[in-house]
Formats: sequence, structure tokens, C-alpha cells
Amino acid sequence: MRARVHGDRGWGIARVVFLALLTLFTLLPMVWMLLTSMKTQFAASQYPPEWWPRNVTFEQYFILLSPANETGREFLRYMFNSLWVSFATTVLSVMVAVPAAYAFSRFRFPGRNLLFYSVLLRNMFPAVVFLMPLFILMRWLHLVNTELSLILTYLTFGLPLSIWLLKGFYDNIPAQLEQAARIDGATRFQAFIQIVMPLSSPGIIATAIYSFILAWNEYVYALTFLNDKSKLTLPVGLQRFFTEYTTNWPGLMAASFITSVPVVVLFLVLQKYFVRALTEGAVKA
Amino acid sequence: MATFDEFGGLSSLGRRRLLGAAAAVGMAASMPGAARAATAPAGLDTSNWTPEYIASIAGTMEIDTAAECAKVVPLNTKGRVTYWYVGPNQASPQIDHRIDAEFWAAFAKTYPNITVEKQNLDYNQMLNKVRTAALGNAAPMVAKFPILWGVEFAAKGQLMPLKPEDVGFGSDEFWPGALKSVMWNGKSYGIPTNNETMGLIWNAALFQAAGLDPEKPPATWDDLVLYSKAIKDKTGKNGYGLVARTNAGNTPFRFMPQLWAYGGGALDEAEARPGYKSVYLNNAGSKAALQASFDMYVRDRSVPVSALTNTQNENQDPFISGQLGMMISHPSEYAFMLDRASKATGDDKKTAEMVVANMRYGLVPKGPARRAIVFGGSNAHVFDAKVVDGKLDMEAARALLAFSTGPEWSTKIAWTNSNPGNLRGFRTKWMKERLETIKFLNVTTSMLPSGIPFPVIPESGEIMNIIVPDMLQNALTKKMSVAAAADDAARKVKALLTSL
Amino acid sequence: MSVSTAAREPNVFARIVRHRADYLYIAPALGVMLLVIGYPIYDTIYLSFFNTPPSLAMADKIFVGTDNYVRILTSEAFLDVTINTLIWTAFSTFFAFALGLGAALALDRQFVGRGLLRGILLIPYVISAVAAAYIWRWLYHSDFGVIGALAVASGITDRPINFLDNVDTSLPSLIVVNVWKEFSFAMIMMLAGLQTVPEQLHRAAQVDGAGVFQRFWHITMPHLKGVTLVTVLLLLVANLNSFTIPWIMTAGGPAGSSDIWITAIYQLAFERIRFGVASAYSVILFVVMMSMGYFYVRALTGKDEATPG
Repeated sequence: MRARVHGDRGWGIARVVFLALLTLFTLLPMVWMLLTSMKTQFAASQYPPEWWPRNVTFEQYFILLSPANETGREFLRYMFNSLWVSFATTVLSVMVAVPAAYAFSRFRFPGRNLLFYSVLLRNMFPAVVFLMPLFILMRWLHLVNTELSLILTYLTFGLPLSIWLLKGFYDNIPAQLEQAARIDGATRFQAFIQIVMPLSSPGIIATAIYSFILAWNEYVYALTFLNDKSKLTLPVGLQRFFTEYTTNWPGLMAASFITSVPVVVLFLVLQKYFVRALTEGAVKA
Repeated sequence: MATFDEFGGLSSLGRRRLLGAAAAVGMAASMPGAARAATAPAGLDTSNWTPEYIASIAGTMEIDTAAECAKVVPLNTKGRVTYWYVGPNQASPQIDHRIDAEFWAAFAKTYPNITVEKQNLDYNQMLNKVRTAALGNAAPMVAKFPILWGVEFAAKGQLMPLKPEDVGFGSDEFWPGALKSVMWNGKSYGIPTNNETMGLIWNAALFQAAGLDPEKPPATWDDLVLYSKAIKDKTGKNGYGLVARTNAGNTPFRFMPQLWAYGGGALDEAEARPGYKSVYLNNAGSKAALQASFDMYVRDRSVPVSALTNTQNENQDPFISGQLGMMISHPSEYAFMLDRASKATGDDKKTAEMVVANMRYGLVPKGPARRAIVFGGSNAHVFDAKVVDGKLDMEAARALLAFSTGPEWSTKIAWTNSNPGNLRGFRTKWMKERLETIKFLNVTTSMLPSGIPFPVIPESGEIMNIIVPDMLQNALTKKMSVAAAADDAARKVKALLTSL
Repeated sequence: MSVSTAAREPNVFARIVRHRADYLYIAPALGVMLLVIGYPIYDTIYLSFFNTPPSLAMADKIFVGTDNYVRILTSEAFLDVTINTLIWTAFSTFFAFALGLGAALALDRQFVGRGLLRGILLIPYVISAVAAAYIWRWLYHSDFGVIGALAVASGITDRPINFLDNVDTSLPSLIVVNVWKEFSFAMIMMLAGLQTVPEQLHRAAQVDGAGVFQRFWHITMPHLKGVTLVTVLLLLVANLNSFTIPWIMTAGGPAGSSDIWITAIYQLAFERIRFGVASAYSVILFVVMMSMGYFYVRALTGKDEATPG
């Protein structure tokens, strides 16, 4: 990032105040989530609330993460399912988006623009509207109650942005590099694999994070397509935790926290790729 | 806990017929004897259905489930059955988990060659799931539903005709009211598994602190409004656990009793011979009941403000931590609270044990018209072959039904929260054990004569889960006046019934 | 870049044949899209012409022509829900964008901990909407909520504020949650956009004595036009489609005060099992979305011309 020359002191102060307030707005809800998760269920249903838990307990975390009890086993199961579905979606997304984006960027086949924008229009369709027809479709494909039904659906959520992001990236990679490789005897495909792929890795990583987060957090389809308790993913599991297991607010908050950790960590570690992909790919174009 | 109202629901029987035919448990004094003189199912004397009578017959009959089942489906039958039900969950008392496990172990022992693929679903999601599944031809072979639900699927032709005789029982072994709840167009589509009613539970310590008689529940709904206000004013805690969320089964289960007590209703379901044609939602009784809720929520602010977004689940923590005075609840609530108290630690344990010691069960209040509660329970159904996922294995399905709706397991499965659907269950030693170990079981059981079934029409779900809660919300948020909210709801029900 | 390149080609068929290998690259993406989108669109439009009352099986549905559309468009509830949807979409988008832009401008310089701060601000965006909805439902809780209790403790009100069980505040309360959840998406987009603003222009303008505002308006903003358009459109679409937060927090209530199109459609389809009407409702929503999609595509194509390199 470039340092930028900026003026007045007043603006500097305003900037700091604004950022401080924004950070509080962002963090305070999560602080309360953490504090609540460390209370007992009794302490959580008090008015006025205990501002600071009097008896700090990690009971909810033990229950959720210990394979020794039923809740823990279930929760870990959901987490594993979420990991699996998100991972599979991510891998497939990259495998599908990379060649498509490359083709849209490099090739001049008839219908290219039309197809490109049709893909982007996927975002226009509300997920809820497709629940029933997709369920019937999945049933027809014998995929109801399988993780594959989710993976297939999630794939289409992430594709538009992924393809768009990657296409911007490929647009920025000079075609001469490939031409040079091809003169050296590489096929078009080899040139793509050996030259273009490595150069676009930030875009691919960004695409991967994006797909992973989408899949990790999706709720409505997971709710509709899966019945088998042993196949549920975390967001649905979270809701079960609330509706079924009494209103265990500390437990729910602990579960929310645990659910959030993987994506937050992943994103914090890899965010620079995401920003870079947006900057060099999509936005700059 | 997964509030067992969900197991409640509708039976087509009018209240009088229900009373007369079967369920007049206790309450002998309050009911004219003539109304109850009727058939004697399974050789039981229902005209004398008092807690004492129930206690006297319990443990008088030996049951050999395997032998009974063998007569219906040979025990060496090979097969596969898929089964969906609302089973015990994390919030259920430990004993429910144990019994569920025992049930499946016993079934596997009785029918070693039948594999069961079971789905224990969350009540709040089950209805939507079953609808979706049936539409997509992905339904299970057998399912156990709250009795409000079956008629919709029967009307759509998605259920197989099914009656007790199909699995070796006589129709006289079940409450006629429950049997009516599986009827559609004169045909039977299910077998009752369990039936129950709820009672009022309260925290005697909060009553005491509010200057109320700690041992007596409010006698009428008008009193309940006053009690709720007294608790709020004197202790700062919420009085009555009102719930008014839409599409959460618990709302109608707690509000309809109030409506019926004042002489109201959704349709004429509280009448002796309901025709389910006339709309009662905006009659004087319904409006009085709505006004009483309005008084508690808006005028007195004596109930949880979060009632509009809450389900009954959200009343349990406040109750056990001593923040809520009264609620309408199942007998299992006691077992559940006891469980919770035993798991609590430190100061919480003291609070919880205090609340458990101060927990009291009583009859749900009366109103000017009657004392009423929802007649609840569940039925088992078999889905039509064309909507079932895979090939319907009728023999395996019948084996599971014969086993689970018999006297032994319909008693055991209902352990903490209900009563056996099969009336012979009342004679078993397990019933005796339940009566001896489950505190307050006799109180909620004695509400059975006041049980009123929801209307047995496919539109019942929409009326009870959407239109009625909407009416409550419109009034309690002051979006509409009480009268206007009632009229609006009545108009919607009329439109619904005439639309097709 | 022009959409009609292919059309101008004299022999399209020959070109398609010549480029046949190219299609292999996009075939997987298109295949998945067609399967998972093509069929549902067809099915939704088809069903929208039928009445499917709860007492009838789907096979017995009744053809009613455009009846469902007429009924929806003339119903009073549709107007209420539409107004809610407009409020929800417009305010969510506006505030998410404004906060996001502000954050991007504030972060657009080097300082210690910048990356960490950007990461922290992005947390709400990456956590699941289900978790976010429950966290806020708990913060707002009318009886035990911390916000209400804080308001009382600090003397602002004398009783806990009723956020979600109140027809006047439920929708605004949900909008706050939504803004919390997605402002950092706008932030990261705008942050990326800001990187494309040439530094020299800023310096030159500063030398010429231009103030912060002038520089922002005359130098930064013109460069951000394309990315702004795309960001706003993506936010609009996301907000029109957002289901999880409103559904888990209030399910459209109380008394319909936070009911928006999506929750209304879900309720019609899955709680009142009126697939016909729900489908018609969905088609109406499609039409709105497609017209926004038109602008979306225009924004994407236009951007290529507007921002060189």
C-alpha cells in the first residue's frame, strides 16, 4: 500500500474517532457473545444482566467440544460435515471457475459475452425461491439427504463472483507470456498450467476463501436438503441447538463462537490475498 | 425442552363426545355423570375415570408384546422400514433418552431381521420437512406426527389407509377422540400412539412473595390476569409465561384454552357437535380472551415482553431461575426441572432446588364458559407408496406399528409427558410405576376431560399456527384494536375456508 | 467490449465450430449453472399459474392463469411487505455502503495495525448469518437483553427498550444487524477501488491547495465510480435476497412489521404451503431482480470503458 499525503489534523482525529467507534460497533456484540458463553444458564436469564460473569464457567465449551457426551459428539459431527462440504465446494469451485474465467478472458468464441453475463446473473436469484424446485431436482438426481446436493448448490453461489474475480486477474496477465511459452513448444493447456496458474494464485486463493466462507455459512438449503442428523452442517446445527435444546443462551453463544472461529482465522490469515485479488483483478480490470 | 404441545393437536371429536366416550379422567365432580356414561373401551370403566380408579387398575395386566406382535407379523420377517419421529432431545429428561434406546433395542430383539432407518427430527422443523419430502416423493414409510398434522397429508392422498385392526388391535383399545383425529372423509389414516393434556404450573415462592395463596392456582382466567399483575408489581418478576410467536406450535396450545374458556374458539370446535363451518374467532368470548391477553401484555406489562418472539422453550430458563411465576406446561416439566436442578452447580443449584421445591401443578383456569385445554397426542401413519423414498415395505411397517402402538411401548414411550394411546396400557405395571414416580402426573391426566381437539380439517395448521398468532400479535403490538384484530382474523379464516 | 461481437460475425456457425475447444473450458461452469438454475426457473414460472391449496396434492393443482399475480398485486399485504422491502433494502444498502466507504477512506493509509484492524472489521462479514442473528437476538432480547439493560443503567430509559417485539422498531433493529453484517464487504471493495486512484493526482491537487473534500470529490470519487456502482448493486441484490437474519430474528413479525418479500415467499411456500402463489411472488421478484441485473451488467461493462487499466 502506498502512503498517502493527507491534510488537516482535524481529519486525522476524526478518522481515529470514526475507526474507534466502528471497531466498537463491530466488536461489542462479539464481546457480549463471549461473556454470555461463559455464564451459567441461570446467570444468563437475570435482569439486570450480570455485566461480568460472576462464576466464569467453560462448561458450554466442554459440552460442545467433548466427544464424551451426546451433544459434543453431535456438534463435532456438524463441524466435520461443514468442513467436508466447504472443502469439497471450494476445490470444485476453483476447478470449475479457473478454466471458465480463463476462457472468458482469453478466447473470443461466439456467445462469450452473453454467457459471461448469464453466469453473473446467478446472483440475481434469491436462494429461497429455488428451494422447492431444487429439492425436487435433487430428489430426481437421488441426492436428497446427501452432502453432494449441498456441494452442487453451493458451487453455483460462488461461481459468479469467482469467475468475475479471476477473469479480471487473467485480463491483467500479458498474453505474450503464454505466446512465448507456446513458441517454446508448450500446448495452450500447458501454457495455461505452467504460466498463467502460478501468476494468478492470489486470485485463486481469494476465490477459494470466498467459496469456503459461503459454503461454511449457508443455512437455508442445508436446512431443507438434509434430514439425517448425522449429516447436518453447523448453521443448521446451531439452530437446532436453539430451538430444541431449550433456550440455552450461553450454549448458543458458545456454539456461535466456535462456529465463527474457523472462518475468521482463515480470513484473517489470508485476507491480503482477498484484497489483492479485488484490487488487481476485479476492481482494476 | 421440546415442549410436548407439539404432540398435541387435533382430534375430530367434539368435546362432549370425547368426554362421554373416553377421557373423563378425574374431574368427576365437575362433570355431570350423564355426559360420561358411554362405551367402555378395552373393558375400562371410563364413567369412573378418577385418579383413584386409574391407580386401582394399573398393574393388573400382564403383557407379552412379542407374542402379540407374532400374531400380526411373524417375528422372523425380513425387511426394512424408514421412520421419522420427534424423539427425545438434549432438553428431554434423561429417562426419555433411556427409554428411546430401550425401545429400539427391544424392537431389534423382537424383529431381528428388520432394519430400521430412523430420523429423530426437531419438532419445529418436522412439519416443513415432511411436506417437502412428501412433495418430492422422499417421504419415510412410517412417521409419528402430532395429531394436528395427519389430516393435511390424508387430504392430499399422501397417506395409506390405516386402522388399529391392521396391526391386530381393536378400535375399542383407543380413545374415540384420538381415533377421530385420524379420520378423513370417513376413512382412517393412522393409529394413535399417545394422548395427553397440560396443566398450569407455578412457583409457590413467587406467589407467596406477591401475597397470593402459594398452594392455590388462579381459579379463573380473570384471576390469572390479576395474579400475573400482582407478581409483577410485588416482585418485579414476570407473572404468566405468555407466548405469541407465529408458526411455533406452542402459541395455540397456550392461547386456545383461554379462548375456549371465555366461550370463543377458532371455529365451533368447542361445541358438542362441531361442523367446522362457522367462525368463532370474533365472537364475544374470543374478544374477551384476546382482551385478557392484551391486559397482561400491554396494560399490566406483567408477562415477558419477548413473548412475541418467544416460544415456550424460552420460558423454561426464566422459570427455573425464579424469574417467571406461572406457565402452562406438560407433566414432564417437573422431571425436566428436576434434571436441570441436579446438573446445576453452586448458587444456581440452590436457586434451582428452591424452584423445584416450590413447583406446583394445578388445573388450567376456568373461564365464564368452561375449563378447557388442548386435547393432544400423536398418531402413527404410513405414507402412500407413491410418495415414499424407495419401496414401501408394508410388512416391516406393520411390525413397527404393532410393536410401538401396543400397550407396553405406548405406555413406556409416553413416560414423562403423555399417556398411552393404547388403553390397555393403563392396566400395565409400567403405568403403575409411572404413577408412583412421576409427580403431578395425576394432575395433568385429570385435565383430560377438559381436552378440546383442534378442528380436524387440512386448514387447521394455518389457522392455529399463523392466523391465531397473527391475531394475538396484531392486538398486542397495538397495530389493531382488540376487536379489529379479532375481526381481521375471522375474515382470514372465512376466506381460507371458502377459497377451496 | 461489446455484447454484439458474435452477432456481427458473418458465419457464426463456422466460428462456433472453430472455437469448439474453447467451450470445454466453460462447460463445467455452464453445466452446473444450467442444472441448478435452469430447471428451477422453469418450474417456478410453470407453478405460478396454478392454485395449490393445502387440501390438494400437487398432482391435482388447479390451473388459474394469471390469477395468482392479480391476487398478489392487488392485496393490501403486498403493499405493506413491499414498503418494508424497500425500507429494508434501501437503508441497509445506504448505511452499509456509507460505513464501508468511510472505513475504506479511514484505512487508506499506512499505520501500525492496519491489517489487523481491517481484519477485525471484516469479522461480521465472514461469520455465519445464523450466528449473527442469534447474537443480536440476544443483545436485543426484550427481557434479558444487554442493550436494553444498558439503556436503563445509564438512565436513558426507565425500562428496557423493546426492540424486536415492537412494530415500530423491529425493522430498524434488523437493519442495524444487517449493516453490521455487511458494511465491511463495501469497505473491502472500496478499499480495493481506492488503490486504483493515482497517487500523483492527489499530490498535484494538494500542491494546488485543494482541501480534503475537494480532493475527495474531484479526484477520488471519479475513480471510484465503477466500483461504487458494482458494490451498491451487489449490496442491493444481497439485501433483496437476504433471508437468514430477518427469518431467525423475527420471522417477519411481530404483526408483519418486519416481513419482506423473501420472508413472505418462504412463509407462503413452506408454512402455508401455497406453492402456486409463492411461485408467482417469486416471479415478480425475478422481474425486479432482472431489471437490476440489467444495470449490474451495464455497470460491469461500463466500468471497462471508464477506468483504463
